[in-house]
This record gives sequence, C-alpha cells and structure tokens, in this order.
Amino acid sequence: MTINTTLPRRSVLKGLGGLAVAVALPLPALGQAQQPPPGPPPATAAAAGANASERMLTAYVVVTPDGKVKVLSPTTEMGQGSQTAHAAIVADELGVDFKDVSVETALPADAYRWGGFMSSGGSWGVRRWNAPLRKGAAQAREMLLAAAAARLAVPAAELALADGKVTHAKSGRSLPIGALAVEAAKLPPPAEPPLRDPATFRYVGKGAPRLDIPAKATGKQVYSMDFKLPGMLYACARLTPVFHGDIASYDDSAARKVKGVRQVVKVPGGVAVVADTTWAAMQGADAITLVQAPSPNDKLASADITAKMKTGLAAADAKEAKAVGDVTAAFAGAAKVVEADYEVPYISHAPMEPWSCTALFKDGRLEIWAPTQRQDQAIGSAADAIGLVKDKVTLHTLQIGGGFGRRLVTDDGMPHAALCAKAMEGTPVKFFWRREAEMERGWFRPAQMARLKAALDKDGKVTALHIRTAGPSLGMEFSPTRIKEGDLDGSSVQNFADVRYKLPNYRVDYAMRHVPVTNAPWRAVGATQNAFFLECFIDELAAAAGKDPVAFRKELLAHDPRALKVIEVAAEKSGWGKPLPKGRARGIAYFESFASLSAHVAEVSLENGQPRVHRVTAVLDCGQVVLPDGARSQMEGGVVMGLSAALYEAATIADGQTVEKNFDSYRLLRFPEAPVVDVHFVPSDSPLGGVGEPGLPPTAPAVANALSTLTGKRIRSLPISKALEA
Amino acid sequence: MIRLTVNGQPHTLDADPDMPLLWALRDLLDLTGTKFGCGVAQCGACTVHLDGQPVRSCATPVSAADGAKVTTIEGLGGEHPLQKAWVEAQVPQCGYCQSGQIMSAAALLAETPKPTDAQIDAAMEGNLCRCGTYPRIRAAIKRAAGVA
Repeated sequence: MTINTTLPRRSVLKGLGGLAVAVALPLPALGQAQQPPPGPPPATAAAAGANASERMLTAYVVVTPDGKVKVLSPTTEMGQGSQTAHAAIVADELGVDFKDVSVETALPADAYRWGGFMSSGGSWGVRRWNAPLRKGAAQAREMLLAAAAARLAVPAAELALADGKVTHAKSGRSLPIGALAVEAAKLPPPAEPPLRDPATFRYVGKGAPRLDIPAKATGKQVYSMDFKLPGMLYACARLTPVFHGDIASYDDSAARKVKGVRQVVKVPGGVAVVADTTWAAMQGADAITLVQAPSPNDKLASADITAKMKTGLAAADAKEAKAVGDVTAAFAGAAKVVEADYEVPYISHAPMEPWSCTALFKDGRLEIWAPTQRQDQAIGSAADAIGLVKDKVTLHTLQIGGGFGRRLVTDDGMPHAALCAKAMEGTPVKFFWRREAEMERGWFRPAQMARLKAALDKDGKVTALHIRTAGPSLGMEFSPTRIKEGDLDGSSVQNFADVRYKLPNYRVDYAMRHVPVTNAPWRAVGATQNAFFLECFIDELAAAAGKDPVAFRKELLAHDPRALKVIEVAAEKSGWGKPLPKGRARGIAYFESFASLSAHVAEVSLENGQPRVHRVTAVLDCGQVVLPDGARSQMEGGVVMGLSAALYEAATIADGQTVEKNFDSYRLLRFPEAPVVDVHFVPSDSPLGGVGEPGLPPTAPAVANALSTLTGKRIRSLPISKALEA
Repeated sequence: MIRLTVNGQPHTLDADPDMPLLWALRDLLDLTGTKFGCGVAQCGACTVHLDGQPVRSCATPVSAADGAKVTTIEGLGGEHPLQKAWVEAQVPQCGYCQSGQIMSAAALLAETPKPTDAQIDAAMEGNLCRCGTYPRIRAAIKRAAGVA
C-alpha cells in the first residue's frame, strides 16, 4: 500500500505487504489488489475521545495556562524518536519554542487511528503523521489568532504567532497563547489552514533534542516494569515452553507456601503466581509443578523445518507475486545460468525489557497500563480474555524498553494480565514474565529459504531473474484470520515486486511451508531476509559476469537516477575501489524498503577465524530528513541490530521449543564488536520514507558480500559466524 | 535484618537474604532506575556499584550487600559528567539498558579517568544494547573523559 500511494508508477505487491500493512490497516482478502491507505483521521477535539479538555485546540495540541504546549502523539515511543519529531513538527507550525513543548501518547481515540487502528510500526511514525500533525498545529494557530483578533478587536490578518505569543505589530500589543487557549478551543478549526513556509522552521530539517533522553540518562524513565500503583501485586508467569502448547495440570501447593504469595491464576499456556513482591512471585512461579499437555508440536525441530522449507524450493504449488516477461524462455536462451540457495534461521526480537503489563479490574471496568505497539488490538485481547466489551477497557500506553515489532503481539501477554486483574478484582496487578519466557514465547522473524536463478547474456547482462522463497509464514501466526495454508505471504516476498533493477524477465513466487512456531514482524520484517537473499545473489551474478559489484549494480540501475545516487554516495564515502590493508575486504548491498532507499558498504576482516566488521558506511534516501540526528541514530542502531542478526543470531528449535532461552545462549552483538557506523543522507524531494527500518536490510548482505570477497567462499546462510564454520 | 547504605542513605531491610539486590532496590526501596533484563548476569541492565565495584544486582543476593555501600543510577545525581555526555551525545534510544551502561562506564572512569578504546571495550562488554547505541556510548564515554 505504501508503494501504491508514493510510487504509483510501479507495480503493487500482492498479498500482505509487510509490516506497514500487516499492523496498521484492515487487509483485503489475500490475493486481491490492495486499496490505497485511508486518509488521515479527523483531528478535532471531538475525535480525541477521553483526551479532550477545554484547553485542547485540535486533537494533537493542548495549550496549558502557562503557555506550554502538550502534543498528543498517535504513536508509542520505544526509542525511535517519533514523539520528538511530532513535537518538533507542532512547535514549528504552531510557532512556539521547542523547550515549551512536551509530548504524551494519546489514549486510543479516532483522531490517533489510521485505518481504524492506533499502532506504531512499519516506520510510519513520522512519514504518516507529519502532514496531519502539521495541519492540526496550523489549525490550532489559526484558532489562537482568531481568538486574539476578537480580544484585541483587530483583523486576524494583522496578527502573528511566534515564540508562544500572538503579537499585533501595529499596536505593539501581544497576548500569550496560554491566555487564549480556552477561547480558541471554542472556535471551529479551519478546514484548510495556511501552512508556514518550511524555510522558517527552526526544528524540522534542523534538529531538536530527544524529549525522552534526560529521563533515560538518569534512571527516571518509567517503563512498564517500573510503573507502580498503590497496593499493587506482582504476577509472575510460569508457562509451557512449547509453541502453542498448554498445560494439562499444575500443582501449586509448594508455591502457596512461599511467603508473600497470594494467588495462583490459570492463564493461557500456564499459570501466574500473584504475590506481594516481584521476588516472591518469581519464587512462587519456580515452585509450581507443571504437567504439560501433549501437543502436536512437541517434536518440532530445526532440522525438520529446514527439510520442509527445502521442499518448497522447486515445488509447483508456489504462489506468484510478480511475473514480467518470460523467465523460462530467457533461461533457455542464456549464455550463462547462475543458481544458488539461501537460508536464514528464526531470530528473536530480544528487547532488553521483558514483557510486563499492569491491570486493574474494578466496578466492571478494566484499566491497563501497557508497553504496546498496537493499542486497539491490545484492548481487544484483554477485553476478550475476560468477556468485557471494549468500551469497558481503558488503555494507557507506556514507553517501551525495545519493541522492534515484538510489542505488536497483543494476544500473548495481554490476556494474561487481564485474567490476573480479574482474579484479584479491586487490586492492581503487574503481570510479567522473565527473560526465559520472553525468548520461549517466540514470535520470531520466521526462518526462510530462497532459491535464486538468473540468466546472463554473453555481455554479462542479466536477462532474467527468478526468486523463489519458501518457508514458514509470518501471517499464519501473526494475522491468522487474513491468510490460510498455501497462500502468498507478502512478507516472504516483501520489496521484491518493486525492485528497481532492470530485469526484462522477472518472476517472484513463494511456497508456504508453514510450521506452528510463533512469528511476528521483526524490525524491517521480510526485507531483512529478502535483502540478504537478493543482494548476496547480485554479487554472485557480478562475479559470474566478471564485473565489480558496484559497477554491476549501477548497470542494473542505469535508468534510475535516485537509486544510482544512493549507490554512488555509498561507494564514494566508503572509498570503494581504494586499496585496503591486507586481510580486509569491502562489500556492498543496496535495498529499498519502507519507501526509502539504502546502500551500505561494510569493511571486514577475520580475526582468529571470526568475522570482524570494522566500518559500515550507511546511506539513506528517505526524502526529507525531519530530525537529522534522530535519523542518524536510527540508522546507526539499524546497522548494529542488523549486524547482530547477521553475525550471530539464531533461535534453534528442538522438542517444540526454542533452545536459546537467555543471553548466555542467544548471542547478541556486544560492545567491542560494534563497528564504526558512518551515516550519510542523500537529499531528495521524494515523499517522506521510513527511517527506523530501512537501514537494517542492506547490513547482512553487505557484510556477507565483504566476507565472501575476503574468503573466496560464498556465504549463503545466516548467521555468518556459523556459515563460516561450515 | 540487612543493613546497607544506598546512595548515601542507611537502610535496614527485613528481606529474604537470597532476594537479589536488584529486587531489594526496586521493590523495597523504590529505586526503579536499575533494570531487570535477564536475571542471570548476562545483559548488564541491572549494574550498580557495590563498594565502588560494578556488580550485576540481579545475581547478587541482598545479603552480599550487608554492611556495604551501594550506588545506583539515582545516586549519580543527574549531573555526573557521563550523564551530561549521554544527553549531549543523544545516546539512548529505548533507554532500557542505559542505567546499566552508565553505571559500568562510571565505574570505569572512577578507576581509569582517561581510558583507551581497549579499556572501554573491556568495561562495557557485559552490557547489552538491543537498539544498537554502542557507537554513541563510546563517543559519550570519551566526551566525559575528555579523550579523543
């Protein structure tokens, strides 16, 4: 859908179009062409629901008596910086100093929903909300000007709002906006308010310090685990580790003897032990004896999953995602045919904050404080668990200690909290699980395989490409009502349909080989594995054609100045082609996702046989850069997280559960292993693209390509550290 | 009864001696700046100083702190050079690991005011960050230490 709106000239991906689509919008039936996204919601105070107050001008702007501005943000803050960008957008358009602006996550209401849902994902936070917030701030400004005009008995056209004051230059009189807000709020918002000239902006395009950072540098930021209510109890989960499993019975006699334990509550997949303190709840949970219910998933194992994926690589039941020209004929007439199989494992989001959620059930109503990326679905999951209608549930969004897609999952964790609250009616309860459960619950990026086959002519030009992906489906786990066995899963072919490479004959298809391991969108979703598949294969083709990887890509993109520029900047800034110390090599990869173009060059070596990444030059064209340092931070983080997954991460499945249950076995990239990340933005007048995710996908293939160049051996599976051992 | 001094304040706790120091700080003393990440001393989110030394409070029984001085992120006071550098360099993203990162860095600078890159690596290796702020953490430590 992104593609359809911003790049209408290009074809539309069939099926689930990745995270952006999967999280935020009601999907059409699979296989149907997607509709363009709905427009922005009404920004009136009436659409602001329970957020409304007499000092609310529009749904995003509240002015307090002291003239400070509170921005109500439609997105969850989880470190991506969207809320600071929202504050900057409002400050500029309204005409107030950034230091007078604060931001809060809105309570769910229509003004904060897009397509009917309030959610944060798909790198939508700034690109989607920029225009509505700007308009909402402009409306607020016009309302303040109108209120001042009435008060001063002068034409509104003679007034200006700057630095939090409305000034009448002719008479030298001014009024602070704090004194005008209540009158202004009674006025109708103008339908099409004038917008300020962006050249006058003080923050957008220039910078504003992240609003959440001072609290995070002092330990004062309140995360879900820190959130306390008077008399609150703690409920620690003890759950089966088997995917989709449950327990047959449990013995809580020992748990009930633990000092401080109050109650044991049956929750989906196990029990929760409610106690006075976290420690007592944890001790109680450990004292529970669980009897597992037999599950058809008890024997699930990684080797079998790989074998199943492999059966999809040449299968006839694949669903087509893209077909241009005639690949079969092109292969028949090729001077050279290159084919390779690739594989990626399940990987975990592994946010540093394990899941917790506080809930209070009282007088037939449920009040929740949750670190969620999907407010409306979270409410639905909690309400359904205890048989409430959604109107009886109030959700307060807390900042998240790392989301990456994991906190889009609402039907695991929310019901547990609601059930604990119901069991302890009248008393607030914090339901939590520990790291082991966080890892065991899964909701991984699905394992996946791909077979890529290309035809080259005698000049080494690509005449055909066929990409077949095969493996478990994200949608079957994450949005099971929208997809069925054997369908095309859009995330498995994400960003393949609209590749900019010139491919006269091109086919993309997917063979679902689903296994019931829980899957959820993982930062950049299908783009992470798809970039690895395609961009490593492009290097294989360059080698087969006897061409330099940068030159080869430029040849494939000769018709596309925007993409060429991204690759040229990456090559130039990384010193591509210049001599390197002995034992080092460079690799490049380019990928487009979330409507942004990105190219990375990695510089690598081997140290004691282990991959070492020294530097990643990361280039992004996301259109306009709203807050440059914030965007830089997201790119740096994207590269480091992408590198962690590329080098080390894999969730192994055995006996129907994940083998790696904590950071002693699930290896994340550590401090000394982080490279220098040199970020460059390519200015562009294209529509706003995403920033939080597009920096990840080129990372793994850039590193793999560099190591393949260095070792002479193609890396075709992740994690790279394991591939190098093989 | 366990007697300990936290951020300069003496406390007497009636706590299970096996209770990890982390939960004593968070649940009994309401100092929630110290975070729970893994529970097995693998991520560093719970790092505090015990008599000046960085320890993982999730795997340190509160009884081990009997008679000791404990410093948490709250005890740095907010004006610590590292905290200022963290804001100036705009280090945190989700921020959940950052208390632990700062406490590890503070222990390093207390011992080694002008650390080398290798010393920074060694001091920070035990602190995971999923958002990928490592490059900015290094820059902020160097900024606070006044080293290039």
